[in-house]
Amino acid sequence: MIYFILQFIYAFISTVGFCILFNVPRSAIFHGSLTGGVGWTVYILLRNPTNTSYFAIFIASITVATLGEILARIDKKPVTVFLIPAIVPLVPGYAIYFSMINLMNKNFTVFAQSGTQALFFSGFISIGIILVTSLARLFKRKHKKNIRTQTFKSRIN
Amino acid sequence: MKTDEKIFTLRVALYAGEILLKNGAETYRVEDTITIICRSRNYRHISPYCTLTGIFVSDDRSDGLSFLKRIKERTINLDKIAQVNDFAREFANSDMSLGDALHRLKEIDQAPRYKESTVTFFASLGAAFFALLFGGGLPDFLVAFFITLIAVYLSQWVNNFSDTPFLGNILAGAVIALFALISKNLGFVTTIDMVVSGSIMPFVPGVALTNGLRDFISGDFIAGTTRVGEALMIAVSVAVGVGSIIEFWRYLYGGLI
Repeated sequence: MIYFILQFIYAFISTVGFCILFNVPRSAIFHGSLTGGVGWTVYILLRNPTNTSYFAIFIASITVATLGEILARIDKKPVTVFLIPAIVPLVPGYAIYFSMINLMNKNFTVFAQSGTQALFFSGFISIGIILVTSLARLFKRKHKKNIRTQTFKSRIN
Repeated sequence: MKTDEKIFTLRVALYAGEILLKNGAETYRVEDTITIICRSRNYRHISPYCTLTGIFVSDDRSDGLSFLKRIKERTINLDKIAQVNDFAREFANSDMSLGDALHRLKEIDQAPRYKESTVTFFASLGAAFFALLFGGGLPDFLVAFFITLIAVYLSQWVNNFSDTPFLGNILAGAVIALFALISKNLGFVTTIDMVVSGSIMPFVPGVALTNGLRDFISGDFIAGTTRVGEALMIAVSVAVGVGSIIEFWRYLYGGLI
């Protein structure tokens, strides 16, 4: 239990750092970091018992995107403000770097392993985010028929 | 004149799109914002097209008016995205005059960032906590913090007079590897893995890759390709910085790191 609380705190503070780096408005830093911390904790909670990181990252990114959508409604800010910092602990930045450095050192097996992992991690995160964003837009369309929905329809067609 | 007003509206829309794209917004957000701004003034045939390096706005039916804006530099500045979003909503729901609109966009464009020292400190703090997150201990935390402080400071200094971000990334990677190896040989940490993996977090392109795949999935293939290519190039530049220092260290001192 202590382990998960510590992981939450670490992820929270890391996300605060990246909020400042990405110039998130001061009023949104707390919520953005909260989203990041919760996302990472969900990932750890699911990964450790099931040992399947793809499933865990998918659920974690859905959690992050849902929280982001809710907080965006509360704070009246675009979702991106919460989403970009909050996915920083989840995205495979280190895996991309690791695959490149192994490519440099001609360890092609390790390159293929971590490169595939990086690609699928980002893929799962983006699918999770797009899933939630599309659902949220459907919701919005039910509530009010306004300009945005027409834009959305024209994008689909 | 009707045409004058239309040109002015397109200029406002293009400027809003430019600010969004320069500060790291998604492609669909740029296109949606331009469409919303134009529609609110009853120009319904405007079709925007946005890649990572430029925006095209054109009227494809009545008079063929079209604009093009080349975007050269991009950072991530979410504050400006939020402000432009507020502006677009306000512009669409009110009778704001076009001069006022342009004035407000100029204000948003020139809004200050956080101070460089603040950014450096907090980015280092985030990176150091990543070292803990990856399973490091207190020594890894402290070493990662100070290394990232130096690396972020140097890369910001290089970015002030360099056109591409790659030079800063190579330098940052080299500095991180060098100081991690030195601190390992002085006995502060037992392995450089945690220190390096934490310290490079502000430089690696995880978010860029994920955004690129998001563009792919939502159908913006050119923007997606560009973003993924950019992410790969950033990863290569960081790896070049780290890798060359490690190779050189091996040549100097031999053996395993």
